[in-house]
Amino acid sequence: MVPTSYFIILSAILFVLGAFAFFVKRDLITQFLCIEVMLSAANLAFIAFAKSASSLDGQIIVIFIITVAAAEAAVGLAIILLVYRQKKTIKSEDMNLMKG
Amino acid sequence: MNSLNAMFPLLTLIVGALLVLILEVSIKRENKTYLAFISIIFLMICGFFCVQSWGKDFSYFNNHLYLDNFALFFSIVLIITTILVTLISMKYLSLQNTNVGEYYALLLLALSGMLIMVSSSDLIVIFLGLEVLSMSSYTLAGLKRDDQKSSEAALKYFLLGSFASAFLVYGLALLYGVSNSTSIAVIIDHFKTESSLSFMAFAGLGLVIVGFGFKIAVVPFHMWTPDVYQGAPTPITAFFSIGPKAVGFAVLVRLLYPFWHVAYDSEVIFSLLWIISALTMIIGNLIALRQTNIKRMLAYSSIAHAGYLMVAILSQDTSSLMFYFVVYLFMNIGAFAAVIALGKKDKEYLELDDYAGIGFKYPWIGATFAVFLFSLAGFPPTGGFLAKFYVFSAAVREGLVSLVIIGVLASLVSVYYYLRIIVYMYMREPTHEVDINLENPALFLVLFLCLYGVLQLGIFPGNILLIIKQAVSSIAFL
Repeated sequence: MVPTSYFIILSAILFVLGAFAFFVKRDLITQFLCIEVMLSAANLAFIAFAKSASSLDGQIIVIFIITVAAAEAAVGLAIILLVYRQKKTIKSEDMNLMKG
Repeated sequence: MNSLNAMFPLLTLIVGALLVLILEVSIKRENKTYLAFISIIFLMICGFFCVQSWGKDFSYFNNHLYLDNFALFFSIVLIITTILVTLISMKYLSLQNTNVGEYYALLLLALSGMLIMVSSSDLIVIFLGLEVLSMSSYTLAGLKRDDQKSSEAALKYFLLGSFASAFLVYGLALLYGVSNSTSIAVIIDHFKTESSLSFMAFAGLGLVIVGFGFKIAVVPFHMWTPDVYQGAPTPITAFFSIGPKAVGFAVLVRLLYPFWHVAYDSEVIFSLLWIISALTMIIGNLIALRQTNIKRMLAYSSIAHAGYLMVAILSQDTSSLMFYFVVYLFMNIGAFAAVIALGKKDKEYLELDDYAGIGFKYPWIGATFAVFLFSLAGFPPTGGFLAKFYVFSAAVREGLVSLVIIGVLASLVSVYYYLRIIVYMYMREPTHEVDINLENPALFLVLFLCLYGVLQLGIFPGNILLIIKQAVSSIAFL
């Protein structure tokens, strides 16, 4: 059997990659997907921990998180669409109406 | 006591929100204000249930929902906030051409998320409550659909908010891995049995604190605050400056107070929060100095206030934290109500220059606004003075003298930008014509209530302190 630590390391790498890409990327949709990657990393960690402790809690929590991510996607894409309609761009450096 | 009563406040809010959504379809655009009255009725019923369960410790869902007095106190504070926000929104929405019924439903749903957060001590349930709150908040921020700034605010709030949620969830995953549970009490118990905290436990706790740091807008997690506060509809800004902050701090109280008693290793987290608190007070107040937009200035001022509240968290004095919130509620909503009062059809006056001469042209609005600003700056005899006094004196008792010195100096700086508005209102000649719509009884009611609250809390705070004492003595760390 694959040891739990492998999964945790993988999930940590995924999480850091997601967070890193969130700052580097300049496209709203990509940034949004980075957040989804980070949530998936958390899901992976939850499942790995649940498996190693053979408790069901972790797996149920994952279902909650997936639900939340889906709802977030609905709201988020609607907001991005709204911004696109007004500005005709989804580059994050163009979101600069307010400063200071 | 396990009882369905614990569900009543939440159920009331959700039924109210759904009813408003259903009615919104069949009501004409110019009559949408009726929905505000419906939602106020439901808020009052919800508040009634909260008051009724005071001291009875109702719980449900295997203690995942636990209405101790601490939770009820914050619930009532948040319900009052929502009622006041609903009242100041009524005229504003039709003036600003955003008269949509979803507005009130979303406010109720956001409130229900906050009630879930304050009345649970399981981190996953708290996370779900937080998401209910956040999802409604993102939408509320962008509700002025024709206004580019509002959409941009919604976008920034959404991106950084869900980024912060991802941190929170990953932190929860690590804490779950360490202790096999997401209940705060079990996690803390687990910390007590270990001789030192593992790296994973530290990382988990750190990420959770970062996640909540975004929500309560402390430096260095405050970048979204000014933009979102400036772009969102003004009543919603008032709501954001109180609601999410109050629940964030309530959760931090539940999470960190037992943690301070885990003797070893907690110093690292403590000194980290010390630095955050000092930075928040300094940076919040300094950047506020050079703002000319009132909403943006109040945003930085609310960041600075989060710093003062952080001092209360560090000195483990829950009662001063709760008193601060009650005062903060009245003075901040009051200030935003005064800002909203200066508006007419499709126009808001938000720049500092617009306030020149307001004090003489509209003496009542000017005078009440001045009182709220004095209170925010912390002058006696207003509530703001007592609130700051309690927080700082509790911190001195706990030996956080250097933090208190930073705090007092920072609030001296804040006097400059609060008084600058008053100087503009009373000592500058108006540069251009400012005429406002005065037919707004609900708004003036709110101004009066907030004025009463600020003065009552500043002069006779006895009753509320008694209630806070009852609430603090019953915090359940389940």
